[in-house]
Amino acid sequence: MLTRSRLPIHLPAFVLLWIVLSQLNNFIDPLLSSYLALAAMYATAMLGMVILVGLSGQVSLGNGALMAVGGYAFAVSSMNWTTVPFLGLPWNAVYSVIVAGFAGIVIGFIVGIVGARLRGPYLAGLTLGLAVGIPAIASRLPGILGGNQGLILTVPYPVGGYTAEIAGESAADAEAALNDALGGVASDTASSAPSAMASSDMLTMDDVTGGSSAQALPEASAVPSTDMLTLDDVQSGASGMPIDPSAAPIDPSAIPIDPSAIPIDPSALPDSGAAVIDPGFILERWQGSVAIAVACIAGFIALNLVRGRQGRVWRAVRDDPIAAAVSGIDPAGAKVSAFVVSSFFAALAGAVYAQILAYVGPSAFTVGLSLSLLVGVVLGGRSSLMGAAIGAVLIVGLPIVIASIADGRDWPTQIASNAPSLAYGLLVVLVVLVAPAGVVGLIRRRRS
Amino acid sequence: MLTFIDYVLGGVANGAVIALMALAIVLIWRSSRVVNFAQVGQAMITTYVGYSVQRATGSWLLALVVALIAGAALGLFVYLLVLRPVRRLDSSGAIIATFGVLISLQAIAAMTWGGDLVAFPQPFPASGIEFAGRIWPISVYDLVVLGVAAALVLSLSLFLTRTSVGLAMRASAFNPEVVRLSGINVSRMLALGWGVAGVVGAIAGVLIAPISSLSPNSFDLLLILAFTAAVIGGLDSLVGAIAFGLGAGLVTSIVTGYASAEDAPIVALALLAVTLVVKPNGFFAHAGNREV
Repeated sequence: MLTRSRLPIHLPAFVLLWIVLSQLNNFIDPLLSSYLALAAMYATAMLGMVILVGLSGQVSLGNGALMAVGGYAFAVSSMNWTTVPFLGLPWNAVYSVIVAGFAGIVIGFIVGIVGARLRGPYLAGLTLGLAVGIPAIASRLPGILGGNQGLILTVPYPVGGYTAEIAGESAADAEAALNDALGGVASDTASSAPSAMASSDMLTMDDVTGGSSAQALPEASAVPSTDMLTLDDVQSGASGMPIDPSAAPIDPSAIPIDPSAIPIDPSALPDSGAAVIDPGFILERWQGSVAIAVACIAGFIALNLVRGRQGRVWRAVRDDPIAAAVSGIDPAGAKVSAFVVSSFFAALAGAVYAQILAYVGPSAFTVGLSLSLLVGVVLGGRSSLMGAAIGAVLIVGLPIVIASIADGRDWPTQIASNAPSLAYGLLVVLVVLVAPAGVVGLIRRRRS
Repeated sequence: MLTFIDYVLGGVANGAVIALMALAIVLIWRSSRVVNFAQVGQAMITTYVGYSVQRATGSWLLALVVALIAGAALGLFVYLLVLRPVRRLDSSGAIIATFGVLISLQAIAAMTWGGDLVAFPQPFPASGIEFAGRIWPISVYDLVVLGVAAALVLSLSLFLTRTSVGLAMRASAFNPEVVRLSGINVSRMLALGWGVAGVVGAIAGVLIAPISSLSPNSFDLLLILAFTAAVIGGLDSLVGAIAFGLGAGLVTSIVTGYASAEDAPIVALALLAVTLVVKPNGFFAHAGNREV
């Protein structure tokens, strides 16, 4: 699959990209870092969408559900395993990302086998069903997957212990704004239920025993302030993560809203022995560096697949399955492999997303997320890997740009909060009508 | 057994509305080979229009009529402005374009009417009918929904099989080139199909709004269930859309009754996956439109 002659060019190029982005990440404002982390996460997932939708011609409305597979695999493996099986090495987040990728491959293979037999609208139906069904399945498994409340995970940070609940908020806020802006289809079916249930839901001992370092908690925004962890719940956490219950920031009002103000001041953090925070440690930058590293690795793999034999196989099957079959290509196999690769990238993105939010749950992986992946890829350019990067920047950047336009003008909130969503919708229609190759196509057309 | 009957009766009105929405999706698929994901968005907008009319005049019937006209107009509008230009492109372009329309319509509704739930008034009593000494979980309004749906399906099938316009519509979907040669304006027939589907969707929206509630996103589950029903039915078949639409309503009600509402999407996914594994083109699809 790797074309040997190109590897010496691609590898240094991606190392260079990684160095540039990481350095950029270290110098920009932490708020911008958290946007960069989101953009890198979206780009990772959209690489898979380009391969699936653009190169193999299978429209998927369910890649957000495949992200959920990766996110849950990441969360469950990092919570339940302390050593690598058979090898005995201490477990860390890198292994969890690998587990997530593997889970994505397995699920992608299953979906791909069913999907390869289906024509456009039937495949769209199946994947839309996935986007609704997989979060619903997760919400019905309170034991392992945390049910409706999902799992709050303590992210293994490079220094000290750190209450992860604070951690996710800045990115989570940005993300919530994004999801609102996109007005996810059926997002209310998944997310309204937990908020209704949250008030009566208390943690039980079972949630935190067994060496798990995560507690099943109601989603932060849905939690009424009376719903506090009890002391017993917290102290039984066996992972050596002492969390001061009075400081455990379950009360949403206790969480600083301004993302740039969150993690810098160590004195504001819970006064617990293990929480030694490097004063120079800025959470957004760390999230950014993780997301950038994963995105660069994914981009390197994707570019080598697309420029190599496999990419030609996918395009051949997309353009003319019968001609491809005559030339000795198995069309069904090519479609399944596109699904597997796409699902792998989606799962990697899901693992990064879980780290950014420090949370996995049905409300994080809505149909709206799946649709935003499709929207981004269409806007960026659905048959070019560059389109994934551009699409990710557009998905993260457009609401910010529109918010800054609305800022200072006299727009009613009802208009301002829905403007990004309207812009996405109209842009998608416009792009399909006028520039089917997206922004990438426009750039290329101008150049030639 | 009585519980089971209760659950079945509770799902009838919902099922009738899902069937109508699935019917609208099938009508458009048959006329232009596009799955219109914007269908529920159009229905949502026309229901809001009906809601505004109802608030202004107090008349439920006038609201229904205005919503119907708005539905036809919006269907034509979407076809002429978006789908006709895009039709020469690949099918993924068309699917994506309808999603763009859906997102835009939801944003427009949220901008115009706000994002909060509004209550659409009930024109008929919503309480259960008392019969044979017990109150059954089906109201007069549910029966009206069922009756309107049945009348609509009957008149549509008469229109498509017994009138020359209906025949021309079906022929245009079947073989546009030959139909064009015999002097029929195919593009006009497709536009008519979108208009008729818009009317059917608008009726479904106005019927469901009083028993659910109305918000820019409140029809999303309806989209998924209607689409599932249309796909299982084979996308081509009016009978399939109606049968599986009703079935989807009943299954949702039964699953909700015996397990919980959250299990309904899982059951829908399972049924969809099994159907597509066994019958990749649904149950009632016509032979001969299968690709490699």
